[in-house]
Amino acid sequence: MPEHLTIQERDDIALASVMARKSMSAAKIGTALGMSLLDRPAACGSGAVTFIGTGPGTWLAFHDGTAPDFAADLTHRLAGLASVSDQSSGYVVLRLAGEGARKLLQRGAAIDFHSASFSSGSVATTVIAHIGVVIRQVDDGPTYDLATFRSFAGSLREWIDHAAAALAF
Amino acid sequence: MTRFSIFNLATHALKGHRDWRPTWRDSAPAEGYDIVIVGGGGHGLATAYYLAKVHGIRRVAVVERGWIGGGNAGRNTTIIRSNYGLPGNEPFYEFSMKLWEGLEQDLNYNVMVSQRGILNLYHSDAQRDAFARRGNAMLLHGAGAELLDRDAVRKMAPFLNFDSARFPIMGGLLHRRGGTARHDAVVWGYARGASDFGVDIIQNCEVKGFLRDASGAVTGVETTRGAIRANKVGLSVAGHSSAVAAMAGLRLPIESHVLQAFVTEGLKPVIPGVITFGAGHFYISQSDKGGLVFGGDIDGYNTYAQRGNMPVVEDVCEGGMAIMPMIGRARLLRSWGGVVDMSMDGSPIIDRTPVEGLYLNGGWCYGGFKATPAAGRCFAHLLATGAPHDTAAAYRFDRFERGHLIDEKGAGAQPNLH
Amino acid sequence: MRIPCPYCGERDSQEFVYRGDASPRRPEGEDGFYDYVYLRDNVIGEMAEHWYHAQGCRNWITVLRHTRTHRIAAATLSRETPA
Repeated sequence: MPEHLTIQERDDIALASVMARKSMSAAKIGTALGMSLLDRPAACGSGAVTFIGTGPGTWLAFHDGTAPDFAADLTHRLAGLASVSDQSSGYVVLRLAGEGARKLLQRGAAIDFHSASFSSGSVATTVIAHIGVVIRQVDDGPTYDLATFRSFAGSLREWIDHAAAALAF
Repeated sequence: MTRFSIFNLATHALKGHRDWRPTWRDSAPAEGYDIVIVGGGGHGLATAYYLAKVHGIRRVAVVERGWIGGGNAGRNTTIIRSNYGLPGNEPFYEFSMKLWEGLEQDLNYNVMVSQRGILNLYHSDAQRDAFARRGNAMLLHGAGAELLDRDAVRKMAPFLNFDSARFPIMGGLLHRRGGTARHDAVVWGYARGASDFGVDIIQNCEVKGFLRDASGAVTGVETTRGAIRANKVGLSVAGHSSAVAAMAGLRLPIESHVLQAFVTEGLKPVIPGVITFGAGHFYISQSDKGGLVFGGDIDGYNTYAQRGNMPVVEDVCEGGMAIMPMIGRARLLRSWGGVVDMSMDGSPIIDRTPVEGLYLNGGWCYGGFKATPAAGRCFAHLLATGAPHDTAAAYRFDRFERGHLIDEKGAGAQPNLH
Repeated sequence: MRIPCPYCGERDSQEFVYRGDASPRRPEGEDGFYDYVYLRDNVIGEMAEHWYHAQGCRNWITVLRHTRTHRIAAATLSRETPA
């Protein structure tokens, strides 16, 4: 019986990269946003907004639901604390869901995706088939969001199709 | 020692090959020599051979930490070529190619020189122009070169992936005199030749330090088999040049890196010569036993481990699949790694060092095998006369300080990029 | 070889770009520049070196690695590593 895997491009989101200014801590930035923010590879959220740690003092911010003013709003709230760039068109986010999603990722990235070490809320910035990706596990379904630069998205999708076919999904 | 001829081969064949004698002497160290060569690889043994043969210096010892030919001489992909572009390089490699062409007669030893041709593929207009320029440099030095268009390449190697969307094959630079030689035979041939002239080959003899006189000049080596005096000491220890030179207080413009190589199961003849991919790092030839011998980039970080990493295995195989998808069904038999001296400009050093009495032949990067005859000949010339050989005059120790770099790739002082 | 990135955790070396020995110090003046640019200790043993985590957190990391065994004793963000 083939394992279940669904792939869907998320076009209902807004994205922004956030980079702390010199000597500005995650705590200060979190306070300005009214949420607790961690400076490590983790997902921190408040309502529709999720911050994913991609490097020291660096985050990829997700907004569930289209929000044309998301980056502008963050820029305003984080003035003097962090630099913000709109990434809504810069990245493509693919949602992989179902039992097969974990097996698929295990074939692509040199990360331990076993539920004991990577579960809901875990994130990783890594590489699949030479293509940089930010992976976030959304729930223990498991469901994952994969963010990659828009110009690489076609190649990543090609790899996903090949890998999924090899796994007979 | 045994000279080979059709008659003694036939005689031994009739006797079931039971009576062959060792072809070279395994010596114990004497108290002193005129010259001690450290390193019993192809280069060290060739140096000893030419010291005796060309310069008449026969009180020579080659000291080797393990067994002769057990380092990079036994870990390369056996390619010989004279297809460099820069003035400091091409005359030297052409000299080496001419020595290869006469080596079997000179040594009376079958080193299996096979000039099956080397084809460097190009994939863009800019690369064709660069290859045309390199080809012209080769022609000027008598190496021979032909710039082939796509149809001519297709005739030679129809199995290549000509229509890759990213790197279509536009043609190739063909170096007909290039090819392969049998690495072990080269070592054994030089060992027998040197031994015949009276050179002592001393194995299992690791250098632990240098003997120095009051002025600081080197007067011999301290080894695991005792002290050996020498008027001059030559280092020919690819991969470990820095470590040995450090015993004399020298720092070198060299880093040690590992280069991997691979061989598949034996196949019927499929690859006509040596073929290199111009848009990735991948080169391949087929051994006389039928195995596809191939390699690519160095692993990219300092290492003294004679083994490589998996990402480079993947990278090399991806390069192979990109250029000749048909090899995807061949099964890999073995892979190995050799520790190489990566120099700061990608070119070697054959020169005296700042320490009196100590001479260096090193920094060969991943290309020392093809240089074996000329490196031996030029190093012997330097040791015997004190002056560099004409064809190796650019390989000076102080060229980095003077700004006279020989950087074929233009990568700068970043050894892992050469 | 896997490198313990201080931010991302243990990652395959393929995600990193290698720069080399971390010990040479840029000299103040012209003297010592040749040594700085060209000469290396090229040690057999533990060596502090620079790796850039290009396919991860995009930070420079100083790694203390044995050049023969590849055993890694420490890895720290270079900006937080005393020179």
